[in-house]
Amino acid sequence: MKKKVLSVLLATTVVASLLAGCGSSAAAPAADAAPAADAAPAADAAAPAASSGGATYALVTKSAGNPFMERMASGFQEAVEASGGTVVIQNPEAATPDAQISVVQSLISQGVSSIAVDGNDANALTAVLTEASNAGIKVLSLDSDVAPDTRAVYCNQAGVQQIGETLMEAVYDLTGGEGDWAILSATSQATNQNAWIDAMKKLMESDSKYAKLNLVEVAYGDDEPQKSTDQTQALLQNYPDLKVICAPTTVGIAAAAKVLQDQKSSVKLTGLGLPSEMAEYIGDDDAHSCPYMYLWNPIDLGRLAGYTSIALVDGSITGAAGDKFTAGELGDYTIEEIDGSTQIILGPPFKFDPSNIDEWKSVY
Amino acid sequence: MAGKSGREISAEVKGGIRSKILSWEGALILILVAVNILGVVISPNYNVSNVLREMPRYLAEIFMMFGMGYILVLGDIDISVGALVCLAGTVTVLSSNAGLPFGLAVVVCLLVGLLGGMLNGFIATRFTELPTMIVTLGTQIIFRGIAEVLFETWGNGGGTASMTDTKGLMLLAQKIGPFPIAFFCVIIVGIIMITVLAKTTFGRKLYAIGSNKTAAYYAGIKVEKMRFICYSLLGMLAGLCALFLLTATFGSNTTTGQGFEMEVIAMCVFGGIATTGGKGNLIGGFIAAFIIVCLRIALGQRNINTQVILVIIGLMLIISVLVPSISNSIAARKKRSAA
Repeated sequence: MKKKVLSVLLATTVVASLLAGCGSSAAAPAADAAPAADAAPAADAAAPAASSGGATYALVTKSAGNPFMERMASGFQEAVEASGGTVVIQNPEAATPDAQISVVQSLISQGVSSIAVDGNDANALTAVLTEASNAGIKVLSLDSDVAPDTRAVYCNQAGVQQIGETLMEAVYDLTGGEGDWAILSATSQATNQNAWIDAMKKLMESDSKYAKLNLVEVAYGDDEPQKSTDQTQALLQNYPDLKVICAPTTVGIAAAAKVLQDQKSSVKLTGLGLPSEMAEYIGDDDAHSCPYMYLWNPIDLGRLAGYTSIALVDGSITGAAGDKFTAGELGDYTIEEIDGSTQIILGPPFKFDPSNIDEWKSVY
Repeated sequence: MAGKSGREISAEVKGGIRSKILSWEGALILILVAVNILGVVISPNYNVSNVLREMPRYLAEIFMMFGMGYILVLGDIDISVGALVCLAGTVTVLSSNAGLPFGLAVVVCLLVGLLGGMLNGFIATRFTELPTMIVTLGTQIIFRGIAEVLFETWGNGGGTASMTDTKGLMLLAQKIGPFPIAFFCVIIVGIIMITVLAKTTFGRKLYAIGSNKTAAYYAGIKVEKMRFICYSLLGMLAGLCALFLLTATFGSNTTTGQGFEMEVIAMCVFGGIATTGGKGNLIGGFIAAFIIVCLRIALGQRNINTQVILVIIGLMLIISVLVPSISNSIAARKKRSAA
């Protein structure tokens, strides 16, 4: 009997303490919450007149410990702080949309002015981002897009078509126009990776120039160095006639470069990589695995997202096609409508080869 | 000693009101209150509506905590449930997108969970010589593998699928007052699971098996049947978890439910359930689950690095497991100095 009473007592206390814990706070923060909710519209109204001071701009990256994300975050921070805003940078605990949902939920509670998100999944964030928009928060995406109707605008590092064409041309050049090649991608659900791969596949079908190229496999290294290494080794083993690996991901290309160079493989590598990580692998001779590769500047991408956040919050753009704004030192940008979604394109991918890698490897 | 708390703070105090306060559950309640006070102090946004709004994704995990509690009391373990959540969610999304009405999709979701759990139970009880950790490690890989194959064959490719008809999910994501429906479901499932474990012969048998499997067998308990039931039950709760997770994500992908199994085991262990079996109760696990959730929300609102939050939770877990041995050694030292 005693036990029964105790267990009932405990169960009710759990609920009660939870309510009490939250309840006691309800009174105090109710006062806090109200101004917080007011603060966002107030900032909206005040911002065009003055600066963006007072507003808080959040950036949600894909995951922690990714050099590309860190550079992107530093650019974002620089742009926002230069104009007097407060920055919140959140790295989710894992590279999953679930972890990003928790982070965005927390940012909604904090009543931030804008959320720029690098989506781990195109659709899984739909519900939570809609909730953010309903709470008056400006939502934009960068690097990897989310569902178009859940955000105002997407800061695209380069047009999908542009990247597809550039990489396809590189594969064509390195294979000599014919033979086996493979793709080493990140995760199988990464939006940007899939879009680029699709663009490359379409180019191979539509352009007879690429008819003699044979894409043997799209391997997924999940943006983990070890898994990318394993996948590269598997590719080398399974396809002895392989000529080129194209890795449109910074983690994948670095892992593949090391494997190819260590094994003194004749397979050549290209794709998208960070100059600082790839410098020792870039070279025209046989001792180096990667003759050249491409990337945009992640710092500039972060900056662009920062300036876009500010412009959205102060009301100078709404995210509609045709809106124009100035992104600080990056220059003027116009929002374009591409495939039914509004985007801002940073610029064409930049080529890193033996002639310029030394000056870039210390930058990022 | 069935239903006895799995963790003692003081080795000396027995009986009376002091023992209730000094029980592990009593301590957990104090920690829960402390965490909530901490939340209010460190974050101006830590209030009822915000906490409850951020909660649903975590609530989904708590369903599985109850089932995992049963498994741990048995002295078994199941590390496949995170992957099972992924599989159940994936099948639900894909079948709903193929035109299955929402009501049936819910049944499918629970059924997939149940079948997955039954598979675990079948292998674990038919091949008792295999460690359950290894069995469920295998099924973990199998479940996620099947989900990935399903994405490839029936999805639009790319390892992710979102529900096109979200009306049913919207209904489940609704709130009654500030409380999400998931909150009430967790409470209801919780009360049932806690009562069954603590108050019925079924629960008593689980403790008997967890304490001494051979003795339980000779006492006439159908050990393997009980284990099979518990694995199936945990599977079905994984289905329930998948369903409520869908109300937050409106879709499934290859990473859905990643790491859930460990978070759920952490909740149980923090709540005083011993992984060696036969000790602990679900009330502890239930309170511990809310402590972890509230702590995550509070620290999250302060924008504390998520990796640091994981470190804090890990430390809490280790310390909580160490408490009995620390207090025992203190007691032993006292006794020695007294003598």
